[in-house]
Amino acid sequence: MIALLLVPALLLLVIVFVGPLFRYAWLSFHADSVITGLIAVPNGGANWLRLVQDQRYWQDLFQTLRFAGVSVGLELVLALLIALLLDQRWRGRDVVRTLALIPWALPTTVMALGWRWIFNTPYGPIDHLTKSIGIGSLNILGDPNLTWMATVWADVWKTTPFAALILLAGLQTIPGDLYEAVRLEGGNAMICLQRITLPLLRPYILLALLFRLAQAFGVFDLIQVLTGGGPASSTESIALYAYWNALRFLDFGYSATIIMASFILISFICVLAWIALQFIIPTHSKSQGVVEP
Amino acid sequence: MNRRFLIAVLLLWSLGPLMWQIYTSLSSDQALTQPFALADHRWTLVHYRNVLTSNPPFWRYLLNSLIVGISSTFLCLLLALPAAYALNRISTRLAIFSRLALVGAALFPYVLLFLGLLELARTFNLGNQLLALSLPYAALSQPLAILLLNSAFHDLPPELEDAAKLEGLSLFQRFRWILIPLISPATASTAILVFLFSWNEYPIALTWISDSSKLTLPVAMARIAGSSIYSVPYGAYAAATVLGSIPLVLLVLIFQKPIVSGLTSGAVKG
Repeated sequence: MIALLLVPALLLLVIVFVGPLFRYAWLSFHADSVITGLIAVPNGGANWLRLVQDQRYWQDLFQTLRFAGVSVGLELVLALLIALLLDQRWRGRDVVRTLALIPWALPTTVMALGWRWIFNTPYGPIDHLTKSIGIGSLNILGDPNLTWMATVWADVWKTTPFAALILLAGLQTIPGDLYEAVRLEGGNAMICLQRITLPLLRPYILLALLFRLAQAFGVFDLIQVLTGGGPASSTESIALYAYWNALRFLDFGYSATIIMASFILISFICVLAWIALQFIIPTHSKSQGVVEP
Repeated sequence: MNRRFLIAVLLLWSLGPLMWQIYTSLSSDQALTQPFALADHRWTLVHYRNVLTSNPPFWRYLLNSLIVGISSTFLCLLLALPAAYALNRISTRLAIFSRLALVGAALFPYVLLFLGLLELARTFNLGNQLLALSLPYAALSQPLAILLLNSAFHDLPPELEDAAKLEGLSLFQRFRWILIPLISPATASTAILVFLFSWNEYPIALTWISDSSKLTLPVAMARIAGSSIYSVPYGAYAAATVLGSIPLVLLVLIFQKPIVSGLTSGAVKG
């Protein structure tokens, strides 16, 4: 009887999460565009064949993976440093913790607009800085080799606080006497980090990694507002390409195919990242029992 | 040792971009082209006046986002509270499976759902209605909400409810008078996180709302940005950025504790 309480939430979840995925799978084998009068007509595997041959899709896939890989990597390293800093005891720590969380809470589009002004050539502060130290004007948002780094920068700024908070929560579960033990044996801070902090932090790193990787793979708001995918599509992400296909080219069949491929790919990447992490960070010999929350 | 320096770098990194927006929003148009030069009539409030008197005025978007945020949070909790409770009362195997599915859904990059949701909105005529947006928002925040509330229910001693049952309280009464009050800290954390999500959400609002008086704040900002990169009234943009940030900065400063405990207990238990 009590299970009935689950029904409304479950129903909504199925409609919003499962429904679209089945719809995409179905649509990806149909032509549904202006040419067919926006009516779905079965077209076999034509959408998938087109996807395989679509240069722009592969370019966007590469750009999305580059964005996700670099920004999540940077985020985790920075987040670990911030979490270690915020885990120590010092006056005013709680205030700094709160202030450091602000970038995470702001709407992405709001600050993406702000970043556009900061990266602006010739009026933004970054441009003034590079000119004054003699590098000269870099034209950050106009140079395809630099623009993607600007998107990474803005993303790292926005999402690092979230990852830092997760890692900080992990740090606080590690009992202090474990460090004592290593120090008594003559180990330094580096050994503490290697033998205790990282192994015990692994579940939290995994959570932050998987969550951030999946979200970065679907990056949309930031790119659309900061660069619009440009210059010359050099920052276009897969989600943005799927969006253009649906709302600008009105090709729903192909848009669904792109999304379906992305969904399969991101599931695959998350499993790979999970496995890779088991190898990168060694297990702590006494970790059982300690990490149990 | 260098801790002070590191803290200063962290603060500058976190708040610097926002500070620059405040600085820009208060600079006159001449000063904008020479941000570090000294000039007469350097400071101005004209950008704020422009933003607040435009059509529709900027506070309209803040109000729209507030409406969507509150209705989504309410709907989300209404569905998540009973579900989170029931999840502790069903068979263990089913519960473990449900939790795994919920974690998967919480990790899912929801932006990929935009096309399916857009079709739903068209089929059921939900476009251009602020309150209708709370349906997808409540659904998208459901996984996190259920997981957080479920672990809060799980932490309550079972004797409490048994005692109430012996007193003859019905399920609804136990829920209303005993369980809900006891998990109110977790409910508050959940509510704020759901509100933040709904306030900030962009792709769904972008595809569901086109009427300019009904835009939520993130979509309005993006639409402002829609014009060319090179000829843009950045003073007005910066003023809009600052106005759009203030409610959230206040929210973080006031509700820092429940936000942090919500995110962290999500991490520790999820």
